[in-house]
Amino acid sequence: MKNTPFVIVLLALVFVLGTGLEPSVATEPVRTLPEVLSALQQQAARTRSLQGRFVQEKILAMFDQTLRSEGALYYQAPDRLRWELLQPVASGFVVEGDRGVRWNSVSGEKEAFSTPDDPVMSEVAGQLLAWTRMDMDWLEQRYRLELVKSSPVTLYLYPRDTAEADFLAGIKVVFAPQLDYVAEVVMEEQQGDRTRLQFVEIIRNQPLVDGTFRPPVF
Amino acid sequence: MPLFSRCYDALHRQRGLVLVVLLLVLAVCGWRLQRISIEDSIIALLPDGKTQVAADFELLQQAPFARKVVIHLQADTSRQAGELAAATETLRASLPEPLFRHAQSGVTMTDPQRVIGDLLQALPLLLDAADLQTIAEGLTPEAVSGLLRQHLAALQQPQGMLVKELIRRDPFDLHRLALAKLRALNPLPQMRLEGQKFVSTDGLSRLILADTDIAITDAEGSRRLLAVFADLTRQLPEGIRAELISGHAYTLANTDRIMADMHKVLLLSAAGLMLLFVVMIRRLRALPVFVLPFFSMLIALVVTSLWFDQVSGITIGFGAVLLGITIDFGLHVYLALQQSQQRQGELLQLVARPVLFGGLTTLAAFLVLLASDLPGQRQIGLFAGSGIVAALLLALLVLPHCIGRAAGDKNYATAVRETMSLYQRFPRARQTVLLLWLGIVGASLLLLPQLTLSGELRKLGYLPAELLAAEQRLSHVWGEVRGKALIFVAADDEQTALQRNEQLWALLTDRDLEGDAVSLAPLLLSQAKQQQRLADWRAFWAEHRESAEHLLIRQGAEYGFSAQAFTPFFAGLDARPQPVDAAVLARWGLTGVVEMLKPPRPGSYQLMTLVPDRPEVVDELTVATLPEGVTLVSQSRFGQRLGAAIAADFYRFLTLAAVVVVGFLGVLFRRVQDVLLALLPATTGLVVMLGGMVVLGLELNLFNVVASLLVMGLGVDYGIFMVCHGQGREDLASRRAVLISGVSTLIGFGALALASHPALFSIGVTLLLGISAAMPTALLVVPAWQQGRS
Repeated sequence: MKNTPFVIVLLALVFVLGTGLEPSVATEPVRTLPEVLSALQQQAARTRSLQGRFVQEKILAMFDQTLRSEGALYYQAPDRLRWELLQPVASGFVVEGDRGVRWNSVSGEKEAFSTPDDPVMSEVAGQLLAWTRMDMDWLEQRYRLELVKSSPVTLYLYPRDTAEADFLAGIKVVFAPQLDYVAEVVMEEQQGDRTRLQFVEIIRNQPLVDGTFRPPVF
Repeated sequence: MPLFSRCYDALHRQRGLVLVVLLLVLAVCGWRLQRISIEDSIIALLPDGKTQVAADFELLQQAPFARKVVIHLQADTSRQAGELAAATETLRASLPEPLFRHAQSGVTMTDPQRVIGDLLQALPLLLDAADLQTIAEGLTPEAVSGLLRQHLAALQQPQGMLVKELIRRDPFDLHRLALAKLRALNPLPQMRLEGQKFVSTDGLSRLILADTDIAITDAEGSRRLLAVFADLTRQLPEGIRAELISGHAYTLANTDRIMADMHKVLLLSAAGLMLLFVVMIRRLRALPVFVLPFFSMLIALVVTSLWFDQVSGITIGFGAVLLGITIDFGLHVYLALQQSQQRQGELLQLVARPVLFGGLTTLAAFLVLLASDLPGQRQIGLFAGSGIVAALLLALLVLPHCIGRAAGDKNYATAVRETMSLYQRFPRARQTVLLLWLGIVGASLLLLPQLTLSGELRKLGYLPAELLAAEQRLSHVWGEVRGKALIFVAADDEQTALQRNEQLWALLTDRDLEGDAVSLAPLLLSQAKQQQRLADWRAFWAEHRESAEHLLIRQGAEYGFSAQAFTPFFAGLDARPQPVDAAVLARWGLTGVVEMLKPPRPGSYQLMTLVPDRPEVVDELTVATLPEGVTLVSQSRFGQRLGAAIAADFYRFLTLAAVVVVGFLGVLFRRVQDVLLALLPATTGLVVMLGGMVVLGLELNLFNVVASLLVMGLGVDYGIFMVCHGQGREDLASRRAVLISGVSTLIGFGALALASHPALFSIGVTLLLGISAAMPTALLVVPAWQQGRS
């Protein structure tokens, strides 16, 4: 089974596209996939830091009800990331380069990890960098990209890896009308489970608070 | 007419032929010398044969990393972890084949998810009674609720999508119990894996392990290996250094040291003998006396090479000792023949008796070494034995025809007479000498109980400080990588071996030793054990299944889990388990570990367990407590056993040699008093040698055993000459001969004592002690006793 933290991929996408688009960039309507990707790449080159919140909904067969949660996400170029759930359970991780710490307030555990040893986190870092830099070669290698709609711009990502495709049907990414942030991400699994993320209050290239990339104390 | 007189007369008429034959023999030896292969490693010091020590030594060779090249990279604290990682990979990639093979800086484990999947399939077989007890204790509402909360949190994380199936199949986290079994496969106690790479706990060190085609005993190969490595390390970034730790570095250091010593010792002893010649003989016609020992050494070398494939450098270094011994025979003959111009044959016959018996006693002392378990000792025995035989023949048959006829050297006789009359002229001198002798021997005897034995082979090899420091750094950072005791389990068939391995593991567990042990036992199970575990597993779940299901549904509902969320877990309880076998471990990327812990053994099946080589652990696992077919070997215990073997050899050789020597002396003198007197220099030499070793802080080792035999042989020689001298109607210049030969022997041994290789030094310094006591005893104490008797 291929380990792919799609959520992080999409979050990276969110940050890349999130808030800092200059009005002039989005004045012309984008119509083709190369044009969309080119615009994303341009924005990525200007991104030094990002911060924002998200709302997550998971529809899983294991649960009788939809799981709802809220969280925050921070990124600083070139390789620092903080992803954390704040409600209903505080948990998350920070990563810097190839090292990081994950935590879980339920178990009270904090665990250091290195991305080379942790395939999940390795994918996180790899995907994040790829999206931040809009590494088209890498993305084309991993996913088949399809421009579903031009307004709002909607991409659909199909995994090329068969093992990954065994459980992941695809990822839908919906951008805001002005292309200044990603409005929604939906991950669809083969067996029907779905995860939906909505991103709000995204701020780009503003200084981050000291200690943003340190794990919480509890 | 006596034999040697007749030989002398017969050969005297054929002097030209004698020289031609000698030259022919030397030519053949010279030709053969070109083909002699010199073994410049310490392999000759290692036991062979079928003894326990040899068997232990063979097993110790299978220790992990014993045949590996270990490269230890360390970074200064100023370096980034990434720089060390990059430097390690660059170095690993640049290690050239075939000098370095299969270089690995980490493991190539398969996807951890797959490992967990396999472990889940093998759970019923892997979990023991203690694990089932742990599970039972976790089947409480509180514990289950806590687990489910953690699962809920994990499922909401980005990685939740990937752990979802694992949670469904294993809500009680039973795979963690199975994962704990993998800890028993880690031979590097202080290692962690980072990116599947070997990293020290502080992150400042990394390891590269490699195989090599270069045998550890191959000095020239070792030189190439180390030179290539040195070149590569020069390309490392500043602040990062790499050290190669393997037997090769020791081999090369020992080889260089032995070769340097060999040249130094032979040169010094040759120069010393020449100096002795110039100072004490000063007759050009005596030159053959000093040349013939070199011929006998050459012949001995050739004879040794015919028996052994390779001649040890240590044996050749021992040639200096042989020179010191064999020159004695020629000296006695030469000095005796100088007494009269007319009666050469008669004088030769007279001196031949002590020379022959002296030589034969020394020869007998060395021949007992042929019974040694150490090839090195056997080789020295043969080398010395053949050298002595050659020297005796040359001294008695050839030398008399090479030294010309003397004009009756009255100076010698005068000098001898003067010395003989010393005690008559100064009676107090005799008492002083005897008191001094008694004092020294008494003090030495008092020191003897403090003498310690050393079986540590490492102490006999040259251990450069920088290599020792590198090994210490390796142990400090990674734990005892190379210092493990090995427990071998062997059986004719796989199932028996696995069962014995399980018994051993149970024994280790009972004694709380399993935490530091490395073994396949927790994972590779016999069929009988599998069946038992499966029955236990099924019985356990027959009892607890209902309550577990109830708990999951009730506690899960509080977090929103559906009633069917954990159906895969209960379906798995009834599934047929898949055992972990060597193929599964190989699939996980653990082939190297399996090969290490399952060393091949022709005709049978073998498994190995590693435990710390600490005295308390090794003592705890005495042979009596180990199951049948289980053998424990450790470096520390090997040292003890070798020490015991050395002690046994020492007493055995000494007893054997003593019996033979006393037998010879009995035949020669036929009087108990003369026999005892002849033994006096030898016994004094031995006692003072051993006492002196205590004073100098030396231990009795493999080579001191050789030294003791030599002291016995030479001491008896001196004794024979002096007793014969005391009895003699004819002055054979024995006292002067003993003095010169003693000095010549001391020169040889003194040169050895200047060697820096521990083995050669050990022989040299102990012989120096022994001969320094034996020679004055012969020259001063024996006449003092004789004087008393007369």
